[in-house]
Order: sequence, then structure tokens, then C-alpha cells
Amino acid sequence: MIGILWDNFDYAVSVLLFLIGLYCVIAKNNLIKKFMGLNIMETSVFAFIVALGVVKGGSAPIMEPGARPPFINPIPQALILTGIVVAVSTTALALSLIVRVWRQCGTIEADELRELE
Amino acid sequence: MWWQWPHWLPLAVLVPLGGGVVTPAVARGSARRAWGWAAGVSAATVAVSLALVIRVARGGPFSYAFGGWQPPYGIEFRFDEVSAFAFVVAFLGALAIVFSRQYAPHALAEPRVPYYYTLLLLDIAGLIGFSVTGDLFNMYVFMEIVSLTGYALVAISGERIAEMAAFKYLVLGAVSSLLALFGIGMLYGVTGTLNIADAASRLGAAASTMPVIVAVALLVLGFMVKAALFPLHVWLPDAHAIAPSPVSAVLSGLVVKLGLVGMLRLYGVVYASRAVDLSSLNWLLTWLGAVSIVMGAFFAIFQDDIKMMLAYSTISNIGYIVMGFGLASQYALVGAAVHIFNHALIKSALFLAAGAIIYQTGYRRLSDLRGVGRGMPLTAAALSVGAVSIVGIPPTAGFLCKWYIALGAFEAKRAAFGFALVFGALFIFVYYIRMVNAFYFQEPVHADVTHVGDPPLSMLVPVWILAALCLIMGLAGKVPLTFVAPAVSRLLGPLGG
Amino acid sequence: MEAVDVRVLLAPAISFACSGLVFLMGRNVFWRRFWSLGAASLKFVVVLSMLPAALAGKTLVWNLIEFTPGIGIAFRADALGMFFALVSSALWLITTVYAIGYMEPEHAKVRFFGFFALCVSTTVGVAFAENLLTLFVFYETLTICTYPLVIHEETPEALRAGRKYLAYTLSGGACILLGAALTYQVAGTLTLSKPGIVPASADVRTLAVLFATLIAGFGVKAAVMPLHGWLPSAMVAPTPVSALLHAVAVVKVGAFGVLRVVYNIFGVELLKRLGFALPLAYLAAFTIIAGSVAALFQDNLKRRLAYSTVSQLSYIVLGAALLTPASASAAVAHIANQAFAKITMFFAAGAIQRTTGKTQVHELGGIGKQMPLTMAAFTVASLSFVGMPLTGGFITKWYLSVGAFESGMWWFALIMVASSLLNAAYWLPIVYLAFLKGPQEVAAAPREAKPSLLVPTVACAVWVLVLGTTSDVPGMPFALARAAVEFVFKM
Repeated sequence: MIGILWDNFDYAVSVLLFLIGLYCVIAKNNLIKKFMGLNIMETSVFAFIVALGVVKGGSAPIMEPGARPPFINPIPQALILTGIVVAVSTTALALSLIVRVWRQCGTIEADELRELE
Repeated sequence: MWWQWPHWLPLAVLVPLGGGVVTPAVARGSARRAWGWAAGVSAATVAVSLALVIRVARGGPFSYAFGGWQPPYGIEFRFDEVSAFAFVVAFLGALAIVFSRQYAPHALAEPRVPYYYTLLLLDIAGLIGFSVTGDLFNMYVFMEIVSLTGYALVAISGERIAEMAAFKYLVLGAVSSLLALFGIGMLYGVTGTLNIADAASRLGAAASTMPVIVAVALLVLGFMVKAALFPLHVWLPDAHAIAPSPVSAVLSGLVVKLGLVGMLRLYGVVYASRAVDLSSLNWLLTWLGAVSIVMGAFFAIFQDDIKMMLAYSTISNIGYIVMGFGLASQYALVGAAVHIFNHALIKSALFLAAGAIIYQTGYRRLSDLRGVGRGMPLTAAALSVGAVSIVGIPPTAGFLCKWYIALGAFEAKRAAFGFALVFGALFIFVYYIRMVNAFYFQEPVHADVTHVGDPPLSMLVPVWILAALCLIMGLAGKVPLTFVAPAVSRLLGPLGG
Repeated sequence: MEAVDVRVLLAPAISFACSGLVFLMGRNVFWRRFWSLGAASLKFVVVLSMLPAALAGKTLVWNLIEFTPGIGIAFRADALGMFFALVSSALWLITTVYAIGYMEPEHAKVRFFGFFALCVSTTVGVAFAENLLTLFVFYETLTICTYPLVIHEETPEALRAGRKYLAYTLSGGACILLGAALTYQVAGTLTLSKPGIVPASADVRTLAVLFATLIAGFGVKAAVMPLHGWLPSAMVAPTPVSALLHAVAVVKVGAFGVLRVVYNIFGVELLKRLGFALPLAYLAAFTIIAGSVAALFQDNLKRRLAYSTVSQLSYIVLGAALLTPASASAAVAHIANQAFAKITMFFAAGAIQRTTGKTQVHELGGIGKQMPLTMAAFTVASLSFVGMPLTGGFITKWYLSVGAFESGMWWFALIMVASSLLNAAYWLPIVYLAFLKGPQEVAAAPREAKPSLLVPTVACAVWVLVLGTTSDVPGMPFALARAAVEFVFKM
């Protein structure tokens, strides 16, 4: 068991990060902290997908003279670029919502907001 | 023929995407100009997606390789019978935009109106993209386009309660997207491809089934949050009830279907490859579907807010569809797939009619709306047609799914779920009859309600087009049923279903 | 022998169109009456014009639209369907005349006449349904269309009754839907054009479930005990509604459905072998007696009528369940016999209520002197229920008793005797009260109901006598019942 985890160290860490993030989303009371949990989750998934493309001893797939296989798989990296763009837009939207909630309600604590409703 | 031109497929996404982005520039601050432009763009989208539906009806599924790079290396759009959802999206989106002509300036601050149309068009573009893409990662991207615009549309009215609902929706939506992305990543890790068809063929050769099972579980979980299956529905009622009514129609009719279309795509990968046995998943889905039907109805019974009621009714209807998926027999899957389309029509009719009533009277509680059947006869009649249809009284559109899933339950030798479905539908009737009673048969509380008059034509026409379709799609039920049948046969083909 | 003929479609379509026209133009009194009466007459003529073909053994068909792959909305006027359609379209015409007079002081008349026409349309749709799904479509539509009529008064009591009505009938509809799905699974078809479609080779337990679901579904509207609870409550509706819907359309649709299940879904031979019909016969016999006993204790005239309906409907169910040719002809004939007699009584009750304001039995003393014609009609109907020769009710009882002996279960004939006695016990006191008792001073001035209420009442009573005397005359409705029975028993 330990051996499997050690061999797949990168995957295990991303799963752990994902769970930490999920915990924050569920358990934190402050909306910004909730959202930071979401950002941790995003990062963990991105790390996981990038790690999929790693080849031991591989080099960056830049086709210049002298480049020799094995290369690292570039597709996950391209995907994650897109993923980061999505994550940034989500963050922007969420933060602007939080700002507006703060302006209108004077608080961003989830339990106090529930009382306001 | 005109519909054979290959480039219609990318255009179906690009037209609303591009049209949406430039809307504020075209409008230059005028709500009227923004409406005209958005209506034109959505009409063009309807025409383009109609071409695609005609082509698939005549010649079966087809695909489009971007830049001439052939799949699995290039990016592929693939249009099959399930993708016909794109046409429903374009059509309902266009009606929602037409409906917004007077509604949007009334519900939002004037300067926001052009952005409202931008978001609606982007939402439509994302939904169309999601239903036509042949690529797992692009599914995620389109899903995020839909979700992000959805969060913003819920919040757009700027009311405090709307922003809080939008935040709740955003958090759960983002978590579900990440679950799905995790699953997509794992599938990619196992198969080394992102192309859906290619993944289906390679999955069977996967070295170990454990990662596949985890990937499927994550994707299903993600999609079911998007679809608001009980008990993952908590975000839905507030978001759908508080959004402006045309947005509610789009969210409830179309956006929740994202998860369901996604499920069909996932089935396409997993059934075809026979990589893992889905029977325990299907068992769970059937049960959750049944529970969803009953719980959705149960919560709805206690609502007084008319849009809140409609929102809970969506949860029940998602239950029908998921139950159909879980039964996994030919009839049940056809019924479920058709109900994805039909529920979109019916629920949009209901939300738009409810929106028109709220616009005219200013009330949204049933207890305030007593007697509105006298004040707004045509709108209330359309709402009643929708109510009868969603309960599944024949010969309306809602009946077909009940009939087919009941057939499917017997076919799958799980008759108990047929009973659950049909008697669960009776629960749904309980609160719709409350609505009809309040509209027609109870003493008005507010005298003004009985003589407000029907809404302007820009609202009445979309509402009645949809109400008429509730009847027509029921009588002509053969058309959608035979249309999706080949897709379902292909899905179940390897199982000998 | 089948022939495509558009009249089969026209019969339901006429009243459908009529309802649309009433909704559009009904605010004007003239147009509302014009379309209601015109459509009712036209429909009756159309259905009547199909009678010669049906008597000659020709079946008219019309396929409207393919609803789902393989199953269409299709119409087919076989002998049984013709019989039912003839009864309901004739009574629609008569009831429309009555309703125009009766509803004069009421509110929401557009809604009333619009939905009224829609109900008749769906009833004829049920009668002419070619397959079980078409039948179900019209059956459910009928449920929905009757709702606004049941709660016409819009009082809390009416709304409560309406809820009860929907709860019962929609649950029944759900059962039928499941039964239809199971039938399709077992038989691969849903057609009602054959004497039995369920294969004898099917699993017995499945067939038992199928029979139970379908009978429970139709049994709700046929008010077979213990599924009858909605019927007495629904009496809050205006009298013409109670008359047409709760003596003819709604309840008969249920009874008609039971006949279809027994004769066209299962078939007589299969049911005889399976023995499922016997419990149904016992249930029907129980309902006949228990309904009558309950009627004895009702003081409200309309409620007494309602319990009598519960009891009478089970004659039809019993006739079907005995599975003999004689009992089958009794069952079919009773669709007409009960309808005409019961509608006479409802009309009389409504006329009394409108003219004198009396609704309770104990208030009816001397009413026969005040309204002699109305009460004479009432008396004829009572005698028919008691089973006096020369009335329609006698025909039913006679053939049912013959059927009981034919089937070897003679004790069901005793049920007939007991029911006759009970009927006498709760109808004849009213007749006695009306003519022979009560305040003498009122008798001075006979004050009949207005003609639009009186004429339909008397016409129906006359027809009860016609039904009772012409059962052997060729070309009369009973010949149709015979033709239906011959088809079912392959004679």
C-alpha cells in the first residue's frame, strides 16, 4: 500500500490537496475562505493532469536540432493553460460577487448571511 | 442542398459566441438595439442548427475536423441524434430572448441589458458546443462557459438575495466541474486520448479497471450535481427561482440538461468499451431517480412562490430522466432522452408564463395571484397547458416519457420502478392543481389581479408557441421517439439491449 | 369487415370543435346556445347515421395519427363502441337542452358549456378507441375536463370534492397506464379489435397483476367498492353535470373499460381458464348490495342517487365477470338502461330543486301533486331500477339472472332479487311520499318546472319504457348489444 502510494506520489498529493480544498469549501464560514478552498481544489486537479504527462527522464518537447526523445507529453500542459483561464474567470466572478454581498449586507460570514435572509 | 454545407457545424457555436461578444458594441447602450441584435443572432443560430438536424435526420451522425486535422489528433465536433439538443437550445434561447424585449429593461438596470444578452448568447453557445463536441476536454470547457454565464445571469438583477443564490450556485457548480475534470483527466490517463470515440475504443484495453471506475464515479458525481439530482440539488431552487424569468427558463429547461447529455456521452464511452460493469451504478441511479421524483414533489407542495414551485418540479423531472438512464433498457433510454427535449419545452413554457404573470401583476405568490385566470386568460391558459403536460396527462408531451419509461421498467423486469414513476407523478399533480385552483377557482385577494390584461405580444407569443408545442410534441410523439432511437440502439448495441 | 370512414373521427371531433367555439364566442348567449345545441344535434345525427353499418356487421375505422411508433390514435366503431357512443351522444343532446334551462342563474357559463362539450368529445373518444392507449388518452383527458365542472360552485366544499375526485381518478389512470405498458410487454399489441390479445402462454402471476391493475384502474371510475368514495362527494356539481357525467360519461367510461378488459384484452376463454373473473364477480355483487344499503340511509336526494349509481354500475361489472353470453348482453344493455333511468331521476331532482328549492327526501311530501309530470317520470325510472317488466331495468335483471344460471353460479340470481327489494325499499317511499302524502293545500296549484327542464325529463322516461319493450325489435339498440356479444363469444 505504502509502496503504491510512494510510486504514485504526485497523484496521491493531488488527491490530498483536492480533499483539503473540499474541506475548506464545506467547513469554512467566510466566503473568501470558502473560495480559497475552491482554488486549492482547482490547483490540485491541474497538478494531477500535468503530472499525467510526465515521462521519467523526458525533456520538453521543443523540436530544435539535437532534441532527443523521450519527450514529456505536452497535451496536458496545453489543457491546463485553458483550465487556468477558466479558473481565473471563476475567481474573478466569485470575488466580484463577494464584494457586492459585502457592500449590501455588511458581512461575508455564511452564518450571518443566513440570518439576514 | 443547403443543409449539407459542412461548415454549419462550427458555425452553430461560433454565431452565438461571436454575436454575443459584440452585442454591447452593437447596442451602444441602447436596450432596444441590443434586443434587435440578439434576436437576429439567435434566429441565425436556429437556422444553422436546423440545418444540422436535417442533415442528421437524413444521413445519420457526421463530424467536423477543425483545420483539417483528423481525429483523434485534431479537435472534432460530432453531431449525432443526441446533439439535436443543440436545436432545442437554439430554439428556446431565441424564444427567451424574444420574451426579454420588455422583460429585461423591467427586471434589470438599463445599462446592464446589453450584457444580459451577451451572457444569454454565450450561454447558448456553450450549450450548443457541449452537445456537439467530440472531445472530452472541450466538454469541460463548454460546461464552464455555460456555468460561468449561468452564475452571472442569476446575479444580474443585482438584488442581494440573487447574489447570494448565485454564490451558492457558483460554489457547487465549480466543485462539480472540478470533479468532472478530475474524471476526464483520469480517463485521459488511462486511454491517452481525449477524443470520445477514440477513448471508447481504447478503454476496453485498459490495463486495470480501478482507475476507470473512479473516473466514471467522479464524472457521474459531477454531472449529477449539474443536473440537480436529489440529494445534490440544494443549489437549484434559489438560483432558478430568483433569476429573471427568461433566465429561469433557460437554466431549468436547458442548463440542468448539461449533466444529462453529459451522462449520455459518458455512457457512449463506457457501454461501447464494456470496460466496466455499470449495473450497480444504474441500480443507484434508478433509486435516486425515484427518490428525486418524490422529494422534488414533496418540497414543491409547501411552496407558495410560483417560481419556487416550478424550480422544485425540475428536480422531479430530472428524477424521471435519471431513472430512465438507470433502467438502461431501450424503451427507458429513449423515453429519458426524449424527455430531455420535452421537459425543456414544457418547463420553459411554464417559467415564461410565470414570468409574464409576475411582470403584469407584480405578485409571485400563489396566495396573491388568486383570480389571475380572469385577469390574464391567455397566459393562465398557457400555464395550465404546461401544468397538464408536465404532470404527464396524455396526449401532451410530458406523457410520452412516462409511457416509455413505464414500458422500459417492464422491459428491464423492474416493474416496481414503473409504479414509482407513475404514482410519483401524482404527487406532482397535487401542487399544480393548487396552482390551477388559485388561478381560476378561488376568490381573488387583490382586486387588481382580475383585470390586469394579458402581457405584450413579445411575451405572449413565445409563451403560446411553447404551450402549443407541449400539445403538438405529444400528439406527434412518434417524431422525436424514432429520431433518438438509433442513438440509443448504438449506445446499447454492444450489450445486446 | 372494416371500412375507412371519416364519421368515426367526426363524432368526437364535432364536440371538440364545439367546445373551442364556445370558448371563443360563448360570451354571447345566442352563440353559446347555438353551438352547443347545433353540435349536439349534429353529433347525434352522425353517430346515428353509422348505426345501419354497425347493425349490418360493418366496422368503420379511422387512423388519426401515429402517436408513438407502432401505436396510433385510432378510432374504430365496433358494436360495443357504437352502443356506448349512441347512448352518450343521445344523452348529450337531451342534457344540453336541460342544462341551458338549468344553468340560467349560474355563473361562468362559458366555462361550463365549453368543458361540457369537451367531456362528451372524450367520452365518444373512449367509445371508439381502437387500442388501449387511445382509450387511455381519452380517459385521462376526460378526468381533467370534468374537474372544472365538478368544482363549478367554487365553494370550499366543491374544491374538496374536486380534490378527492382527482385523487381517485388519477390514481386509477396511473394503474391503467401501467396496465397498458404491461399489456404491451406481454402481448406486443394494444389493439381492442380482437376478442382477447393476451397470450395464454404468459406467466400466470404476471397476468394476475395485469388483470388486477387494469380492473383497479377502470374500477375507480366504475365506482366498484372500495373505490367508490369520490362519487357521492362529486354530487356537489350542478345537476346537469351530475346527470351526464355521473350517470353516463365518467362512470360508464369506467364500466366500459372493464368490458374492454374482460372481452378484448383478456378474452372470455382465457379468463374462464384463469378464473380471475370470479373475485371480480364477488366484488361486484358486494357493491350491488352495499351500495343499495348505503342509499337507504341518505336523506339528500342527490346523494341517494349517487349510491344507487354505485350499486347499479356493478350490474355491468357483474355481467362482464360472469362470462356468459346472456350476462354479457345484460352488461352491454345496462349501459343504456341505467343511463336513461338514472338521468331521468337526476333531471327530476334538478327540476324539483330549481322549482321548489327542495333537496332532501323528507321534504318531498306532496310534490307529486305539484309537479305530476316530473314525478311520473321519476316513478317510471324507479320502477326500472326495481326491475318491473316493460322497463329497461327488467331486461338487465332478466338476462343477468339467466347468465347466473348459465354459468352455474345461481346464487348471483339471488343477488338480483335482493337488489330489487332494496331498490324498492329506497325508491318507492319517495313515490309514495310524493303522491300520497304531504300538505294538501299545495295540491291546489300544480306548478311544473319550466319546459326546458320538463321535456328532457319526460323524454328520458319514455325512452326507459321503449328500451324495456323493444328488446326483440331488429334495428333497436339491443340488437347492437347482441352483435357485440356475438363478436366476443365468437358465435
